[in-house]
Amino acid sequence: MYLPYLLQLVSPALPVGAYSYSEGIETLVATGTIASANTLKSWLETELRCGAIRLETAATIRAYRAEGNTDAILYWNAWISASKETEELREQSWQMGSALRRLLGTIAPSLVPIFDELGDNCNYGIAFAIAASHWQIPLEVVAVGYLHSWLSNLVGAGVKLIPLGQTQGQQILIELYPIVEAMATELRSLDDGDLDCCAWGLSLASMNHETLYSRLFRS
Amino acid sequence: MPTTASISSWHGKLDLAYENRNGKTQLIRQYGRSPLKVQRSFYPEGDSICHNAIVHTAGGMVGGDRLSQTIRLSPGSRVLLTTTAAAKVYGTRGRSRLHPEGIESQQTINIDLAENTCLEWLPRENILFDGSLFQQQMRVNLAAGSTFLGWEIVRFGRTARGETFREGEYKSYLEVYRDNIPVWIDRSRIAADDPLLNSANGLHGQPVIASLVYIGEAISTELVSEIRALSDGNIGVTRLMSGLLCRDRGASTVASRTAFVAIWDRLRYHYMQRSACLPRAWAV
Repeated sequence: MYLPYLLQLVSPALPVGAYSYSEGIETLVATGTIASANTLKSWLETELRCGAIRLETAATIRAYRAEGNTDAILYWNAWISASKETEELREQSWQMGSALRRLLGTIAPSLVPIFDELGDNCNYGIAFAIAASHWQIPLEVVAVGYLHSWLSNLVGAGVKLIPLGQTQGQQILIELYPIVEAMATELRSLDDGDLDCCAWGLSLASMNHETLYSRLFRS
Repeated sequence: MPTTASISSWHGKLDLAYENRNGKTQLIRQYGRSPLKVQRSFYPEGDSICHNAIVHTAGGMVGGDRLSQTIRLSPGSRVLLTTTAAAKVYGTRGRSRLHPEGIESQQTINIDLAENTCLEWLPRENILFDGSLFQQQMRVNLAAGSTFLGWEIVRFGRTARGETFREGEYKSYLEVYRDNIPVWIDRSRIAADDPLLNSANGLHGQPVIASLVYIGEAISTELVSEIRALSDGNIGVTRLMSGLLCRDRGASTVASRTAFVAIWDRLRYHYMQRSACLPRAWAV
């Protein structure tokens, strides 16, 4: 039985504070780059295909496969920290990771030793991978679940910021599912040597978020 | 690699090793194989910092070219490296009947920085001709107390001639490790046939991208604000775990470099208590 665990892990009710992060979308809405359902969808589609979420998900998959190998988990955790383009994106990953780590310490106490090894700067993807592997959730749905929770959170940020109707947000999600599925498959078979992306737009939007005059979101 | 490509392609190599001898940083070993070589050392700011310029004698890279560089700094040495000219990468896709897809031009750079060293890696820009395929792998290993500052400035297409980058691919990996732990991983890939050249996620229609990275000591938020003010907020600036990252996306390599020189100058006060000393090779 893995499905209830998966649903718990990807639920927006998981208390990790995902809703407070927009990953640059707040800046892009403020500058008018994202101003409609179409521009939001196009931004998210290109991020899925070519953006930094590829690297984060690929490293999460590697941490899942490293089950029991502490050195490998620590390496991929350091790798995610080092590949975060900006301070806000890195802090986001660490804060969400810490929240999930605290939660798992209570609801899955056998994971405490590995989280102690990881220390304070535990990335969200790594905590997610450790939980998924602990509950024996199959990798193919772990990858889809991880991308889906990332996507639905950012659609939510866009709906709030642009603003869009809730139905438009749900429509964007549905339309991007084929890409979520395709990327989850591609990232599972990607070699370590081919982990790359283009994060220029995300990086600049996130850097400029640090100095945005009025902010609802923390990234 | 196909033999047809290797006949006319370069396998250039450059190995440089530096040592601090009684307070003077000296290039103690050098090996160059065409088309790479290094010009003689300059000391425009005293003995402790050795300035060198790397020359690519063939003028540019064609498909199938492979260049590899190894740079080692022994404890206490400080080096500024640049290149004498922009690195041109010529078009390869659709240029040959035997290899219509084209063949990559590859550059590998391995840098080892021992304790208490500093390397400033300030090459001229890369110009990617339409149809070029460029791959660069750069790895920097840092020991305790060492500092790395480097930049990369890239132009997609010879825009002054109205050329755009309609075909080809640019792939550049920069990986910085301290004591075998990754501290900065930047793996960029931009292909002409994905939407990135024009989309906001990528270049947003601009032909030039540039990034500057400093890895050394942690940087204060006050210094970040000062550095942002240097470019009136036009350049993205953020802190890394122990350093700083700047990204630029624009129309001109000269504008990017000018802005980066100002940032480098400010950072140099922070890590070396000196102002920037422009490499002599740029004046030519």
